[in-house]
Amino acid sequence: MSGGRYPTDCLPLAVPNMNQDRSSVRPSTAVPFWRDIRVLGILAQVAFVVVIVVSLGWVGNNVSQGLKALGGAQFLCDDGTSSFRCAFNFMSTAASFDIGEKVIDYSTTDSYWRALAIGVLNTIKVAVVGIILTTLLGVLAGIAVLSNNWLLSRIAIVYIDIIRNTPLLVQLFFLYFAVILQLPPLKDSLRPGLGIYLNQRGITLPWPAFTASFPLWLAFVFLGLIQFQLFFLILNRQPGKPTNRWLWPVVSGAVVIAVGWYYAVNFNSSQAVLTSRASRVAQATDVLTGLEALVIKRLPVTKLTPAELEKVDAETLAEAALTVCVLKASPSEPNFVSQIESRNIPFRIERFDRPDQAVADYAEGECEVIVGDRVMLAAERAVLENADTHLLTPIAEYPVVISLPRLEGLNLVGGVKLTPEFAAILFGLVLYTGAFIAEIVRAGILSVPRGQSEAARALGLTETQRLRLVVLPQALRVIIPPLTSQYLNLTKNSSLAIAVAYPDLVAVTNTIINQSGRSMQVIALIMLSYLTVSLSISALLNWYNRRVVIVER
Amino acid sequence: MASIAQPQLSLWRGLAGQVTGWIQENVTNSLYSLAAHVALVWITVVVFRAQLESDPLIALGIAALWVVGLALVIASAVIHRYNVVSQWLKDRLFNSAINAMITLIISLLIVGLFRQIVAWAIFNANFSADPVAAAASDHAGATWGIVAANIKLFMVGQFESGQLWRVWACFGLLAALTVVSIPVYGLFSRELKPVRRWVTWAWIVSPPIFYLLLRGLGDSGPVPTIETRTWGGLLFTLIVSVFAIVVSFPLGVLLALGRRSAFQGIPAWLTYGVVGIVTVGGFVTYTLPNIPLARGWLEYALILWPIWLGLAGVAFQQIYKGNVVAAFCTIYIEFVRGVPLITVLFMAQLMLPLFLPSDIHIENAFRAIWGFTFFSAAYLAENVRGGLQSIPKGQYEAAEALGLHTFQQLRLVILPQALRVVIPPIIGQFIGLFKDTSLVAIVGLFDLLNIANSVIAQPDWLGLRREAYVFISLVYYAGCFVMATAGNWLEKRVGLGER
Repeated sequence: MSGGRYPTDCLPLAVPNMNQDRSSVRPSTAVPFWRDIRVLGILAQVAFVVVIVVSLGWVGNNVSQGLKALGGAQFLCDDGTSSFRCAFNFMSTAASFDIGEKVIDYSTTDSYWRALAIGVLNTIKVAVVGIILTTLLGVLAGIAVLSNNWLLSRIAIVYIDIIRNTPLLVQLFFLYFAVILQLPPLKDSLRPGLGIYLNQRGITLPWPAFTASFPLWLAFVFLGLIQFQLFFLILNRQPGKPTNRWLWPVVSGAVVIAVGWYYAVNFNSSQAVLTSRASRVAQATDVLTGLEALVIKRLPVTKLTPAELEKVDAETLAEAALTVCVLKASPSEPNFVSQIESRNIPFRIERFDRPDQAVADYAEGECEVIVGDRVMLAAERAVLENADTHLLTPIAEYPVVISLPRLEGLNLVGGVKLTPEFAAILFGLVLYTGAFIAEIVRAGILSVPRGQSEAARALGLTETQRLRLVVLPQALRVIIPPLTSQYLNLTKNSSLAIAVAYPDLVAVTNTIINQSGRSMQVIALIMLSYLTVSLSISALLNWYNRRVVIVER
Repeated sequence: MASIAQPQLSLWRGLAGQVTGWIQENVTNSLYSLAAHVALVWITVVVFRAQLESDPLIALGIAALWVVGLALVIASAVIHRYNVVSQWLKDRLFNSAINAMITLIISLLIVGLFRQIVAWAIFNANFSADPVAAAASDHAGATWGIVAANIKLFMVGQFESGQLWRVWACFGLLAALTVVSIPVYGLFSRELKPVRRWVTWAWIVSPPIFYLLLRGLGDSGPVPTIETRTWGGLLFTLIVSVFAIVVSFPLGVLLALGRRSAFQGIPAWLTYGVVGIVTVGGFVTYTLPNIPLARGWLEYALILWPIWLGLAGVAFQQIYKGNVVAAFCTIYIEFVRGVPLITVLFMAQLMLPLFLPSDIHIENAFRAIWGFTFFSAAYLAENVRGGLQSIPKGQYEAAEALGLHTFQQLRLVILPQALRVVIPPIIGQFIGLFKDTSLVAIVGLFDLLNIANSVIAQPDWLGLRREAYVFISLVYYAGCFVMATAGNWLEKRVGLGER
């Protein structure tokens, strides 16, 4: 008995002794460590880390030596010492360069941080407007390719082909130098209609201006929308009763919004018009008729009726024109202008930066009318307290007024102006990305099996219903991920704005590098800005990718 | 009497009934449809009147053709009998009222545009390469002399004229290899199989030959060194694109494989140990002494770099389980894909001298070329990763079960399937790379676009931007078209979509 687990006396002699150490009976199955893939894996990882660390160390050494050669001014602190923590202190110094387009206020005495903020905001402006417009263009072009009108689909295919096979930079240069900068000067502006002016100084479009009564109307709009939603829910709860689902909710919502408009216009006048000859205007039925009478009185030809104002020649009219004082960029201006223009009353506008300047001019008699907010004029009550000579008359104030551009001397006033640079980068990006989005939309719509459309038609759905209820929801699943990456491409391609002199992030930071000489820190900031936007969208895409990837055991 | 009069009346009534029925069904069936029709009629009238003003004859001609087509389709619809022409017209041009109006609008606009373009480019254009003669012309159309006189600049930039034979030699070698490859890899691949190895080796050996021809060796001898700043125009564009495409492909595949790798990671105790030591050491030596000196939240944030490093180490261990290769590949890909190409080029130009020791100088052209390569490798890696994802897991497992080691698995099983699936996106990526080489214009290198800009600035041809940009657009279009066609051939060759 050897004391092992197995009894040895009843086992045949030829059987190996099970109690012995197994390694002496069978050859060892343990893998030597220099062939074990786990050990090798770890060794490879450690080697990889060592290689990376050594390279980084070598690069860091070169960098520090290079910085020493530069004189050590890179990390200068306020107290004269040089330390890593002061790497970004130089960004607080004054920028001393001007930026052509800005969304927020900026002057040359502001810091580099503010200039950087301007660059970021300009990039975001291009990206947001560009994404909206390019989605529209891309979807339309994608649907046009699939249209059964041969001409339309051919045109769309040619557009996509040409745009996708030429570089974006060439298209930008062509658009900026060979198209937009070749537009005629201001006085010969191209007017393709709808109040748009195309000239050398840029593209001026009509734009809505929101007056002081807009918030009140907005409240009514929200009420109208809630009304619409309530009606919709209530009417559609009743099962089995065919109702016209849209008619009553839309009508009731529209009624509320219209009531709000009427109220905002007539009962919330925070507008005021001042005239000097209070007695004359007070006799008229409304202030505009009174102003009309004022102008007619000044004309050499007497006894003209208001309808005959058109027949007077332009020079005489110009001499008798009303002088109106307004604040710069105030929405009162387009509001008043739209009402006075409809009466053919000649007028001339003087713009001031501050209310006290306007009132001072008015007091001296330079202008006969001031248009502005009650709030703004209330502040000048000291000058305007004599009710005999000054009459504060309210005029209708529409919540939203379309500000139409107008030629005034050597300038266009009103509307919104797109500078040539912004127009070039915007249209260039929109056209370029639109072609790619068209291909994505086309692929998405084609990915829906034809049987779906046939089944929809068999069910009696109209073509519009088939697109809206059957094709589009399935197509969107295929369209959305590449669409998001095209949006990302548009944002990154906006960095080419430097070629057309639009001050986006890369252009502004390039100037900062040239002026301050600190390339490392500024490039780190550029990378950080772009990475923040891109990584967040990329994380979204990766999450979506994991959800739709083929799941296997 | 009534029975004779009735058929005529009912014919008109029938026709009127058909017309009103058609209107009710197709135009006024919904409010949106009616609004669309009215709007389109208004647009048609506006466009027609505009074209009538600018060119009455053509506009009337197109309108007449349109009326003829419309009449044909309506007549065929009424008698319910179509021939080939009227069937095609009805299907493709006059399908509905809206389609008919769109046809008219597009025809008018396209013919007007086409006439203006052809008049500018061909009929009113001046083709003489002599600047004096070109200046004497009335400039009503294009002045193609700017291209004709500067064709050498456009093609090879400022390459030494005496050494141009080397460019021709490169071109000849490339043409010879391409001509030989077409039958060997394509049409007669079965018959010419023994030769295929030699052709492949010829391709593999050709890059050093091209380098020798274009860059040269030494100061004297048959191929003296050529400065890279004399590379320009289409030559430079092709050098950058071909190098970036060829070198970024294996890099991209490696990055994709690395990102998906499942190596045994560095054990947690090792990572946390090392990171802990660095964090605590950094904290003690840098952070603590500097805290009283710091002003402002940004300086505090910079001072606390040991903390951020520690957090990064913990995050690395948690997310990647210590797999450094996967971590490196992922971070590299996401970093490079998140920034625009122009910032990568700026970084290469501005910061590479800082990263290298002061005695190593890399020429501007090479910096740009490597910038493109590393940029393209990241995008390629994502495309290849998509392909790797699409292969069923069974293929990986079968390859392992057959006893193939990793490299054999990749070469024989995984990569052939993965790469075949993603050929279209990869070809698209390469086409994009070819077009993106135009960005070196912003960092001051003279590729095709920047040569065009410099030619436009010549005093003889000042300001003739449209001609130059149209020419280089045609060159880029031709290049992209060739690559797209090659891509289509490749897809057919490997049977994409068939198996």
